[in-house]
Amino acid sequence: MKIAVLIKTALDTGQLRVRDTVVVEETPLKISDIDRNAVEEAVKLKGKDKAYGVTVLKWGPLQKKVQEAENVLREALAMGLDEAYLVADEKLLNASHIATAKAIAAVVKKVGADLVLAGEATVDNYTGQIPARVAAELGWPVITYARELKVEGGRVVARRDLEDHVEVVEAPLPAVVSVTREINQPRIPTLLAIRAAMKKPINRLTLADLGISVEPKISAAYKPLVIQRKKIVIKDGTPEEKAEKLIQYLRQEGVI
Amino acid sequence: MKTLVVFPNKELLYAASTLGGEVAALVFSQKEAEAVSGKAHKILVAEVDPRLPDAAAEAVAKAAAGYDLVLMPSTKNAKTVGGLAAQKLGVELLVDVLSMRAEGGVLTAERYVFGNKAVATVQVSLPAVVTVAPGRFQGEPPAVQSAVEKLALAPTSRLKIVAVEEKSRGAVRLEEAEIIVSVGRGFKKKEDLQMAFELAKVLGGQVGCSRPIAADLKWLPEEHWVGLSGKKVKPKLYLAIGISGQPQHIAGILDSRIIAAINNDPSAPIFQNADYGVVEDLYKIVPILINKISKLKGG
Ligand SMILES: Cc1cc2nc3c(=O)[nH]c(=O)nc-3n(C[C@H](O)[C@H](O)[C@H](O)COP(=O)(O)OP(=O)(O)OC[C@H]3O[C@@H](n4cnc5c(N)ncnc54)[C@H](O)[C@@H]3O)c2cc1C
Repeated sequence: MKIAVLIKTALDTGQLRVRDTVVVEETPLKISDIDRNAVEEAVKLKGKDKAYGVTVLKWGPLQKKVQEAENVLREALAMGLDEAYLVADEKLLNASHIATAKAIAAVVKKVGADLVLAGEATVDNYTGQIPARVAAELGWPVITYARELKVEGGRVVARRDLEDHVEVVEAPLPAVVSVTREINQPRIPTLLAIRAAMKKPINRLTLADLGISVEPKISAAYKPLVIQRKKIVIKDGTPEEKAEKLIQYLRQEGVI
Repeated sequence: MKTLVVFPNKELLYAASTLGGEVAALVFSQKEAEAVSGKAHKILVAEVDPRLPDAAAEAVAKAAAGYDLVLMPSTKNAKTVGGLAAQKLGVELLVDVLSMRAEGGVLTAERYVFGNKAVATVQVSLPAVVTVAPGRFQGEPPAVQSAVEKLALAPTSRLKIVAVEEKSRGAVRLEEAEIIVSVGRGFKKKEDLQMAFELAKVLGGQVGCSRPIAADLKWLPEEHWVGLSGKKVKPKLYLAIGISGQPQHIAGILDSRIIAAINNDPSAPIFQNADYGVVEDLYKIVPILINKISKLKGG
């Protein structure tokens, strides 16, 4: 079974560069954590076929971020993917989700995958809409939030983890499945695997290569969230005194 | 302005009414139609199983014709339906929206991004699909005359729901709790959590936890899990004990009125996100707190 794994080269939210606004251009990229789970699942399921990593570069500037994105993809290749596709195009930076999904679907068709795996959401924007959009674009069924996945007899069976219940859902292949972090424990690549990954192909594509054109971009401004907390820290005294102090504060606030 | 509300509830109908103009509701059964009667100008009934995102999205895409905005709740299933419908319609989808305003064919909305370390102000052209963050639109939708209409549709789905397992739901309703005592990896053994339960009991609160406690160690069921991928809570008091305060945890507690924290590491990020912090070994201070507070309460 050929598998395409969607890998977001996401903004590293632990290293946001902040001035008056978040400076996206200066914030480093990293693999969106939940995508590691999707990669792990693909490596387990692919059998003798190939598993491909697919990335559409969302954050610019193009030249600088392409390099970072390749490093991210090397990580996924080291985990066991066979090949990667990186769609990097000025027109896809800050593009609409419609455009991103179109570009991804075009790559999925190009590699001829039977199954698309993705993380439930990406750690920077956390919208979780791309798997569904890619499914709509391909005309395939989608199962989101899978915490368990089996492929048997041309069908996928997943346990779909929703707020108050878990659904066991079945769909015919080809299909799109988004996974949660609970689905598996992503492997840590060995040194040998990391070295081997350096030789695996990363194919760079533009929109022209895919033969598609896309819609306008999203206009967004990112303001750092100022946390309005009192930040009073009780450091001195015996545990007894500190407890007394805390209780006093909480009573003043009227919360206990 | 014409707004279509899917999976309608009071909050969504109120949110739609704040935008002005016509409000319609798309429901998936006669019973739901009755429940929104008098709260939307038009009620569209689609006889499909809304648990099947592809079938529901087909209904949404069809019903959305002529509407400027489609509003949905921020549940996992609704987001999936929203993603499918939005791509079919060729429009943007904004999820977990905190506030919004529509003007001159453009929707301006705010949402938390980057692990809840920033607020994005996003502008997209209408029509668009939006899922609304819970608790942001509190009000009564105005009473109106409702016209009920059946949405003619041959529902198709390639999905089959084989089984549904309810999640074990104890008495825990963290979203509604006024006081939450929350535990993290600072607790060394499962048995030690007993202390937190005792403290919660004397405070009249419930027990929450960080992700590792529920997902990795499995010391508590997932209904206790707070954060970006867990429950979003808004208590009067959130007391974090032995929790480092990573952004993904903080993401779930932003709407708390008062946050207090106990941690033995003075540089733990939780102190930057708390109103009151105590630098102390939890094993020393929690028993004292239980004792003192039960005296306070019991007289
Ligand atoms: C995509 C994604 C989603 C996530 N979603 C969530 C989520 O929803 N919720 C969530 O919580 N996390 C989430 N996480 C994980 C998050 O990043 C942190 O790993 C997690 O919150 C840490 O849990 P913790 O604070 O219990 O543990 P740690 O970070 O290990 O912190 C333990 C703390 O206990 C303190 N401590 C130790 N001993 C004592 C003692 N004796 N007395 C007092 N203090 C002590 C330590 O100083 C430390 O600060 C997510 C991560 C990712 C990547």
